Amino acid sequence: MRPIIILTIVGLLSASLLAVVDDITREPIAKAKALMERRAIEEVFPFPLDSLRTVTQGETSFFEARDTEGQLKGIAVKSSTEKGYSGKIEIILAVQPDHTIIDYKVIYTNETPGLGDKISKPKFREQFKGKTLEGPIWKVHKDGGFVDELTAATISSRAITDAVHRGLEHINQQYPNTAAQ
Amino acid sequence: MNEAINTLTRGFIKENPVTKMLLGLCPVLAVTTTAVNGLGMGLATTFVLIGSNVVISMTSKMIPDTVRIPSFVLIIATFVTIVDMLIKAFSPELNQSLGIFIPLIVVNCMILGRAEAFASRSGVWYSLLDGIGMGIGFTLALLALASIREVLGSGTIFNMPLIGENGTPMLVFALPPGAFAGLGAIIALMNALEKKRGVN
Repeated sequence: MRPIIILTIVGLLSASLLAVVDDITREPIAKAKALMERRAIEEVFPFPLDSLRTVTQGETSFFEARDTEGQLKGIAVKSSTEKGYSGKIEIILAVQPDHTIIDYKVIYTNETPGLGDKISKPKFREQFKGKTLEGPIWKVHKDGGFVDELTAATISSRAITDAVHRGLEHINQQYPNTAAQ
Repeated sequence: MNEAINTLTRGFIKENPVTKMLLGLCPVLAVTTTAVNGLGMGLATTFVLIGSNVVISMTSKMIPDTVRIPSFVLIIATFVTIVDMLIKAFSPELNQSLGIFIPLIVVNCMILGRAEAFASRSGVWYSLLDGIGMGIGFTLALLALASIREVLGSGTIFNMPLIGENGTPMLVFALPPGAFAGLGAIIALMNALEKKRGVN
């Protein structure tokens, strides 16, 4: 009987302590996450942000960048894929109002340093710029698409292609009328 | 007093948990791709080690043998979760690069090893010193291996570039084989130094 009581007490004390720490850190964690996202959005648009409106649709959040006159200058969306070499990759994808890609920024990745994490490098991102949902084949070279895969990191290249493609699809669904014809 | 100093310092080199006792090698091999990661992981583990050593040394007399290990794991896991939440809250950059390895400190056998071998049968004061000493030893080993791997594998140190744009670093050191090779070299060096000192 005594072991059960002792173990229960240890568990209760641990749980209470964790509840206290969770209470203290919950707000800073949420703030830190929002700040990271905000910074990524600011970096991904090539122009200063005058106003940014967040539109949440289901589980997806869209960020509309407008100039001082309220003219839509760009749309960003958070997109992700589970197909990375080391699991999840999260990106912020930014497009022009006509849905051509401006750039993307990787905000979460565990890809191999020196190989797969080159998906964050400008040289690799360059090939996505100006692309649209319709037209190019959203696959890597090896699979018949337009994306030049990174040497020794085909899986990471496939994953990021998937993430960008999904981001474009989300934007297309949310803003069907503004797409380039 | 001598014993206190000995308890504190033996973890640095003489009984270093990584190079001498070969404990907790999973994080040592996995996160040491950059010096910042190595240092962050070392400090997080040190915090957990100090916390668990102190609490376990205080409570071990009340805990019956049959539930000793479950209780220890619970106490260690509590400290690990605290560290995890603190890093997420106050150092999101570090959280991004260490990611999954912080929760895995729970199964670092060095921590349970110190709890079993030392803290459960020693006083609070000595357990605290042991935790600090072993933690510093662990951090030093991680930092050494991580620095070697970052310099050779990425051509940077603490994210500062050491080679020009056109230089090509030895990529293998950023990958798992480089971790094994680097750790092997450090252990060999430590053994050689010790042998030499023993002869003199």
